[in-house]
Amino acid sequence: MNISVEQLRVGFGTVQALDGVSLPFAPGEVAVLAGPNGAGKSTLFSVLLGLVRPDSGAVRVDGRDVLMGSRKDRVAFRARLGYLPEAVAFSENLTGRQVMKFFARARGIAADRREEVLSLVGLAGPAGRAVRGYSRGMRQRLGLGIAILSEPELLVLDEPTGGLDQEGLTVLWDVLAQWKQAGRTVLVSTHDLALVERRADAVHVMSRGKLVASGSPDELRRRTQLPVVVKVEVGDPVRAEELAGGLSARLGVPVDLGVGSLSLQVAPAELLGVMRAIEQSSEGIGGLRVEEPGLDEVYQRLLEV
Amino acid sequence: MFAVGRALVVHELAERLRDRWVLVITMLFALLASGVALYGRTAEESAASVTAPSIVTLATLLVPLVALVLGHDAIVGERERHTLGLLLSLPGGRTEVLVGKYVGRALALGLSIGLGLGAAMLLLGPGQRIVVASLLPHTLLLGAAFLSVGMLVSTVTRRHATAASLAVVLWFLLVFFYDLGILAVLVATDGAFEGARVGALIAANPAGLYRSAMLTQLGLGGGLDGIQVSAMLPGAMAQAALWGGWIVGPLVLGAVRMNRSKVAQV
Repeated sequence: MNISVEQLRVGFGTVQALDGVSLPFAPGEVAVLAGPNGAGKSTLFSVLLGLVRPDSGAVRVDGRDVLMGSRKDRVAFRARLGYLPEAVAFSENLTGRQVMKFFARARGIAADRREEVLSLVGLAGPAGRAVRGYSRGMRQRLGLGIAILSEPELLVLDEPTGGLDQEGLTVLWDVLAQWKQAGRTVLVSTHDLALVERRADAVHVMSRGKLVASGSPDELRRRTQLPVVVKVEVGDPVRAEELAGGLSARLGVPVDLGVGSLSLQVAPAELLGVMRAIEQSSEGIGGLRVEEPGLDEVYQRLLEV
Repeated sequence: MFAVGRALVVHELAERLRDRWVLVITMLFALLASGVALYGRTAEESAASVTAPSIVTLATLLVPLVALVLGHDAIVGERERHTLGLLLSLPGGRTEVLVGKYVGRALALGLSIGLGLGAAMLLLGPGQRIVVASLLPHTLLLGAAFLSVGMLVSTVTRRHATAASLAVVLWFLLVFFYDLGILAVLVATDGAFEGARVGALIAANPAGLYRSAMLTQLGLGGGLDGIQVSAMLPGAMAQAALWGGWIVGPLVLGAVRMNRSKVAQV
């Protein structure tokens, strides 16, 4: 399923929640929407889900505008997506299984799939207990189960990591991997980019209703030109000090001397020259590691720009 | 087709059964209607003259209140619990969600009314049972109409507390003050207000239509504090149209409100 949003505008009074946002989402892609509170991530999701009507713009699915299409088109689109809201909530009196049963019935899903999903999200045991006794992580897992129940082609996860314990995170990563492998699209909004960094194919940074930057994590790193850290392991402290002085003089950058190692912060464009310089003074070097900036640092820089 | 609506019907009914709402309301109806039935039996008067009219008066007060209470939180309650977004993201329209919830709750209400009246009928003789049973269809219509009004309240309010207050105000207005208003008009106009117009005013309110139609059916003239209104009420077709309007109208308005709303879940 090819989905794109085009020039979406949503205003609430004087606040422009979405201000001309256009984005493509490719099949098999894990796309992350990042941005501070009020950036417009949840509003964008709400438009996709038909919960908020935009003032203008289009949501195209395989080339067809589902917002302007017939009711049948909109319903058919919703049948192809699964949704995990940020503040997921259920009727407190119902058991996990009863909640799942309702959503399965509403989507025409068979009972065996329902039980399979309960097992998948690790709730087969507590499924008979009332939701009121569930922890936040368990509710989040139940919500994730509901979202994946119909094996939707588009999975929309609004802040899915909030409240998830390690078991829940493992389930979430498994789901992301499965969806990606099956060529389905996943949209994730999050504040915690470090957590989803390794799973993201595309990151879209939003601020005040506008798209600030888009690209793969590597593309965004290149764009920000944040320095990389080169860590050199040197066993002999005397040699480490000698090497630090030499590299600092030669490259004109400060070198931090640690216990058994030294590190340099260099601009990505200068990395090759630094590596050559280290290679030329390789005596006594036990190992070398290049650390790229984290996606959360990249995100902060993009927001500052 | 309409899987979301059908799932909601089952879910709403099951939830009312599960949380004992149906049981409590059934017991309430049964207790009060049985009390009336017992009184009617000891009074040794016919069901048509004592028991059934008393049940009509009881239902005119109780059924609208229960129906409004049942309907008022259908949508606003989901909104406040943050469950509406997930519900509306299902592959069904907003109208389907509203109608599914309405039908499920209407079934629960109908079940309570039916069982409550049924319990009272057990205390009566066979002849009296038939008279009381004849009240059931209109009592169900009364419940359906006020449930629909409750659902409308639920779609136009943003807070549960506001919806609850509005439901109580509507109950007072339609069940108590409406008749007082008509009486005030009659007094103020010194009888110049003619019968057909009085009948139309009474029939315009589902509580008045129910009470007058039922008392007329029981051969008691359909009273408004002593005023005989049986001849003033509109014909059967017009009454059917009024019932249809009160059941469908608020639901349609609620659906329009939900569909026109820019934001569905907050």
